[in-house]
Amino acid sequence: MNLFGVLDINSSALTAERERAEIVASNLANAETTHTPTGGPYKRQNVVFETKQPDLGSFAMTLTRFGDLHARGVKVEKVVQDKTPPLRRYVPGHPDADPQGYVSFPDINPVEEMVNLMGAAQAYQLNVSATQATKSMISETIQLLS
Amino acid sequence: MSNTISGLPQIDWGNVQLEVHKPSDGQSDFFHTLEGAIGNAEELKSGAEQQVASVLQGNGQDLHAAMIAVEKADLSFQLMMQVRNKIVAAYQQVSQMSF
Repeated sequence: MNLFGVLDINSSALTAERERAEIVASNLANAETTHTPTGGPYKRQNVVFETKQPDLGSFAMTLTRFGDLHARGVKVEKVVQDKTPPLRRYVPGHPDADPQGYVSFPDINPVEEMVNLMGAAQAYQLNVSATQATKSMISETIQLLS
Repeated sequence: MSNTISGLPQIDWGNVQLEVHKPSDGQSDFFHTLEGAIGNAEELKSGAEQQVASVLQGNGQDLHAAMIAVEKADLSFQLMMQVRNKIVAAYQQVSQMSF
């Protein structure tokens, strides 16, 4: 892998963190959602990350012919649903209320979600910084020729 | 030449060759080397163009992927320019040789 491959790894991390932020945003947006197409209240979601073999672009392929690559990118392997039971609140007259007048609300703690979102934002920034560092490494290497 | 940065795998640089277009008679010259470098830069540039257009059209393309593609194109252009400068300088030195 050459330095352009490092950029690909950085890019994969940025994609993964964006997806994580998306899921957190979805959790926050649906914190009070009692109605979903599949029935029942919204279920809190979580991302599971997995390592990923970077896809080398043609430029990297023509410049390098390395078979075994130790460096790996990251990807969102799957999105899992939280198993915690929904919160039941007494709201008689609510369209989703059961005969006893209880409504199932998703058990989403906004504080927890915000911390998750901050984590994703920080990780994103971290990877942007890494991308900039890689960029200047490549730039400085090119300057060797002049 | 060995790469001794700790944590990085040992890389066999012996296999690395710059991919250049070879003229039909099987010999490489200054201009074909330059052509190869320009070809690589061009390839990345058109990739970046596509990605940026995709972002602007709202196709759900990742913004950072487009930015990184642009940076790659920029860096490969810089590399191509440096290679070009080097080749032109070498060509001029040869052409100014006194016999």
